[in-house]
Order: sequence, then C-alpha cells, then structure tokens
Amino acid sequence: MGKETKKVTRERVAGRQKLLVPQIAGFVYCPGCHEPLAARAIADVLEELGTGDRTLGVFGIGCSSFLLGILDIDVVLGPHGRPPDMATGLKRVYPDNIVFTVQGDGDLMSIGADPLLGALTRAEKITIIMLNNAVYGTTGGQMAPTSLVGQITTTTPGGRDIAHFGFPAHAAEMIATFKGVAYSARGAFNTPYNYERTKGYIKIAFQKQMDSVGLSFVEILCACPANWRMSPTDSLKWIEEKMILEFPLGEFKNVDRIE
Amino acid sequence: MGERMFIEGNVAIGWGAAKADCQAFFGYPITPQNEITEWFAREFPKMGRIFVQSQSELGSINILYGAAAAGVRAMTSTSSPGWSLMQETVSDMANAELPCVIVHVQRAGPGGGPIRHAQQDYLQCTRGGGHGDYRNIVLAPASSQECCDLVQLAFYLADKYRNPVIVMSDAIIGRLRETVEVKKIEFGPVPDKEWAARGKGRHKDGKRRVVDHCADLFGRDPNYRTFLQRLDQKVGQMQESELQYESYKTDDAELILVAYGYTARVSKEAVNMARAEGIRAGLIRPIAIWPFPYKVIGDKARQGCKFLVVEDCLGQMVEDVRFAVEGCADVHLVSILDRHIPTDGGMILPDKVFDKIRQIK
Amino acid sequence: MVKAEVVIDEEQCQGCGYCVKFCPRGCVVITGDKFTPQGYLLPTFIKPDECNTCGFCAMLCPRAAIEVYISASSEVPA
Repeated sequence: MGKETKKVTRERVAGRQKLLVPQIAGFVYCPGCHEPLAARAIADVLEELGTGDRTLGVFGIGCSSFLLGILDIDVVLGPHGRPPDMATGLKRVYPDNIVFTVQGDGDLMSIGADPLLGALTRAEKITIIMLNNAVYGTTGGQMAPTSLVGQITTTTPGGRDIAHFGFPAHAAEMIATFKGVAYSARGAFNTPYNYERTKGYIKIAFQKQMDSVGLSFVEILCACPANWRMSPTDSLKWIEEKMILEFPLGEFKNVDRIE
Repeated sequence: MGERMFIEGNVAIGWGAAKADCQAFFGYPITPQNEITEWFAREFPKMGRIFVQSQSELGSINILYGAAAAGVRAMTSTSSPGWSLMQETVSDMANAELPCVIVHVQRAGPGGGPIRHAQQDYLQCTRGGGHGDYRNIVLAPASSQECCDLVQLAFYLADKYRNPVIVMSDAIIGRLRETVEVKKIEFGPVPDKEWAARGKGRHKDGKRRVVDHCADLFGRDPNYRTFLQRLDQKVGQMQESELQYESYKTDDAELILVAYGYTARVSKEAVNMARAEGIRAGLIRPIAIWPFPYKVIGDKARQGCKFLVVEDCLGQMVEDVRFAVEGCADVHLVSILDRHIPTDGGMILPDKVFDKIRQIK
Repeated sequence: MVKAEVVIDEEQCQGCGYCVKFCPRGCVVITGDKFTPQGYLLPTFIKPDECNTCGFCAMLCPRAAIEVYISASSEVPA
C-alpha cells in the first residue's frame, strides 16, 4: 500500500492590487476615506485591461493629489482644476497612451470649469474621473459646488442656502449633454454591489478611450467622514440616504460612435 | 544658406520654432499675436505636428504643461493680458523643472489697454512673473531675424536648464516685415528627458515617473531647503552663462544708451545722429533681458559714463540700470510719456531720443 | 478540508470599520480591546469557520490592508 501525502495549497482570493506601490506611505488619508479605494478600483481595471504600462494619471489639487503616491503608473500632478488641460497635452503627444484624470468635485466643477469645458467642446479622447464628496476636503470642509442644500460646511455654518449659494451641480448629467462625450456615468463605493458596478463604469470609460470614441466621464460619490463630522459607517449611510437622492447612480450617456 | 523670406516677426517665430523641432503649439486668440497662432494652425498639421486652439490662455499654458511633462518640445504664445493669466502655471513649471517656450508679444496696459505696442511687462517677466522664488530666461528680439533665431535658442536653453524660457517681443517687432534668413541653428547636445511621463512601458528601467510641482512633498527633494538650494544654483548658473547683449559704439562712449526691442533700434538711430554731431554716444542692447548685463554697465559707470535708458513704459528697466551703476553714474530716462503723439499709436522716435542726448550733454 | 484566512495588516489599518460592516456573516468584528500601532481600533477575524472567502472585506478596505486566503489540504495517494 502506498504512503498517503497531504497536499496543501494556499491561494490568495482577494487583496491589494499589483498596480499599487508596495506600501501606501504615511497616513495622508482619514479613516474611511474613499480616495484610496478609487485608486484600488482604477488599479483593478488597468490590470484587467492590461494597460498599466501605457497609462498616465493626472491628478488635481486636493486629496486626489495624494493618489500620486499610490498608483504604480506614470503620474503627473496638475494645478488646481487643470488636469483636463494637462491630459489634453499628454494625450495629443502620445495618443496611444490611456490618459485619465482624478479630480475632486471642487477641482473639476469650480476652478476647473474652464479646462472642463475646453476638453468637452474639443471632444478630447481622455477619461475624467471625479470623486464627489460634496466638500473641499483637504482645506477642512468648505462648501463645494456639489454640497447639498442645507448641508453644513465651514463656509455655510447655517447650511447651504439657495438664495445665497444656489444648488448643487450635477456633473455627470451636464457632461452627458455634450456631443463629443462617449460615456458619462455616476457610481458610488458605499456597498460592495455599488463598488463592483462603479468599477464596471470605469472599465467602460477606459474602453471608450481605447476605442477612440470620445471623452469618457465617471463621477463617484465618496465618503468623507472627517469633513462630514461622522464615523465612516455613518458616512456610508449619508451617501445612501442623502447623496444618492440628489445624485442618482447610473449611466447617463453610452455611445459607441460619435459623428 | 537658409531660405530667405520677407516676413513679420510673428511669422518668423513660427519658422524658427519649426526649425527647432518644436512638436506642439497651443494658443488662444489675442491681439497682437494672432498671426503666430494662425501660422501654427496652417503649417503644423502639414508637418504632422500638433496644433490645438485652447479655450483660454489658462488652457494654453496648462495643455503646454501636459505636453512638456511628456517630454516633447512644445510652446505657446500670448500677449500681456494672457501672460498675466498664465503665471500660476509658469510658477508650477519652474518648480516641476519642465522645459517650455512661451512667446510674449507685449501690448500696452495696465488692464485691457490699447492693443498696440509697449514695453510695460519688463519687470514682471524678468522677475519670474508668478508667485515664488524662480526666474525664467527672457530673450528680447529686436528684429524679425532675431525672432526666428532667438526662439530656437529658447528651446535649447529650456532643455538645457529644464526651465521655461520667455521670448518677449512687442507689437511693433511682431508685425514688422523684414527679410529673414530662415535656417536651423545648432546649439549642441541637450540632456536626455528620462524624467518625462510617457507611460511606464517607454522607460528603459520600467519604473514609473512622477512629474509634480511640489518638489518636497512627493519625494523629488528630501526637504524644502534642498529644493531651494537647487533652484538657487540653477538661477546662478543661468546668470553666469546666459548673458547676451550687443555693444554698439561703446568703446569710447561717454553717454551710453540702454534699450531693448524696438526702442533699441530707435536708440541706435539716435546714437548715429549724435555721433554725426560729434557726441560720443553708444548703445548697450540687452538681447537677454534676464539675466541682465549688470557687470558691463557697472564697469562703464565706474569709467565715468552717463546712461540714458530708452524704454516704452513709465520706467522699469531703468531700475536695473540704476542698480547696476551702484550710485556711480547719472541715469536718465526717455519713457512712454515721450512718445511722439499722445494716442495709443504713439512711438518713441529717434529725434526725441536725440533731443534728450543733447540735453544730457 | 478548506480553511479561510483573513489577514489584516495592522500597520495599514485605520479602524474605519468597513470590513466589519460588509462581512455578510459577521466574521470580522471590532472587539474594542485591540489597537494598531497608531492607536486605531483593530478588527479581529473571529469566525474562520463561517468565512466563505467572499472577499468583501478586502475589496472595500480603503487602505488595501486585508488579504484573504483560501487553503485546501487533501489526501493525495502516493
């Protein structure tokens, strides 16, 4: 009778993506912040598409800047609001690269209005990713273009008031109205289902660029526990109960050809 | 032997940039440099190179930032109000140590002002222009030929120092048609751009590149001081090595005119008129207005010369000349208030300068 | 025999609690008496037998601090 041996296999089922730098240095992000989670989602998508070697990320000013130290691809930091312009320059010079931006809601929809409109009207074949946390996070929680009516921030201590400060801006819907846009969607990271769906949106967005269809855009509702003055799990509830009501999830434009 | 063309300064910029292997131009309409943008729109696509009309000067300079980060020779051009808009990003590019060329065709100000010539941006351009401690080399062509040649030098210096370089003309030099010999000038080798963000697969070592404008924050420098020390060293090197000026009849001169751009041509004429009357006048024309030729002016001051600054503004370069003479000489000024007519088409003309020369004598 | 392992890197963890919230079977909990070197509340993987290696904890950790392994041992005839 032969001897029986034990065969042991140990397989990794889930964990950090390969396209992240070996260690996320320091603690620049607050507990529960969704910014590094966005980096993980992007890394996942780039690994699935196999394009890490020809992808460039351009990051805006704000908490998104620190993604510079997380993704293991060529990265460029832009002045506040300017990533769509810089992405234009990078893409025009090496059109075979995938060029994407990651910007906050203030970076894109406030100071970044000029570059955004330039990229939209010129139909630049870049991908813009906007992380929407409804405040200016890095500077301590001031009102942002996407702050909700009644939301208390450091510059709206009594709550955002329509008469003085208008209404929250809807990036994904607005961008979908431009002819040169191939894709515009909004996702969130507040549940595993939403995380997977949002990753799917990011993948479609990059695919639109790879197919040279037009500009692609993904807005992601992100938790900002520190500036919302909540615990991380309460922030997820705030996204579900308040933000998604104002900013519905889904795809607002998805075309395969633009003429 | 290059190709001879009868072209204005603005168009000569284009031909010079093409000779320098500029790959991309980004621009926005603004008088008096629209001929530059339109030249690139016409000619660059024919050469298979990149032209983009941006949505604003902010767009031009930031798209340029992207192209420069990708490691190609790229440029933009604008006039004074647009130049003001660009400053934040020029400061960022100085921190990021990116080469680029910016052509600035001066017009009158402040504010919207007349769309015609002036030389009112001297101090702003030669002191960096934006926030923070940095300097750009500023080249000041005084003819169409110099527009063609200096823009080529600008690309070389930008690559050599990894810094923005400004080519500053004005509406007169920009729109004046002259004979130009368009030929490529060789300046020597430039360092390899292995720092550029081109996609990880394009780098020989396969490692990622980071291009940022916060040197101490993302690891390019161990701390803020080492970054400042490096910048200081770079500025010092530029000051030492990139002086460029023309001396006209200065060997035995008792009165030296100092002028750049169109007023330098006017001053040369005035010097000739003075010499015809036996007055020993001369001209120092800075071709690089930064770094400024302090030493040669200081030496002449200590030899007993007097100075007459001729500039089409209320008095900006005169400050540098006063600084250079270190109190050893009289410094006089012919300014924008001495133009021949009070409306915006007024110019500083040779006879006005000659009158002043006679007065000083 | 199959064994699930959820490994939480205490150097990276910031105690946000997302892994606790998203585990469908409550296998990861914050007991309140374990802390990371930085002082954040460190969760514990307390029910390895209930874990089905769905990977939600690892997927939604913003710091990529969690790795999930599945080990299988079997008798192999010689």
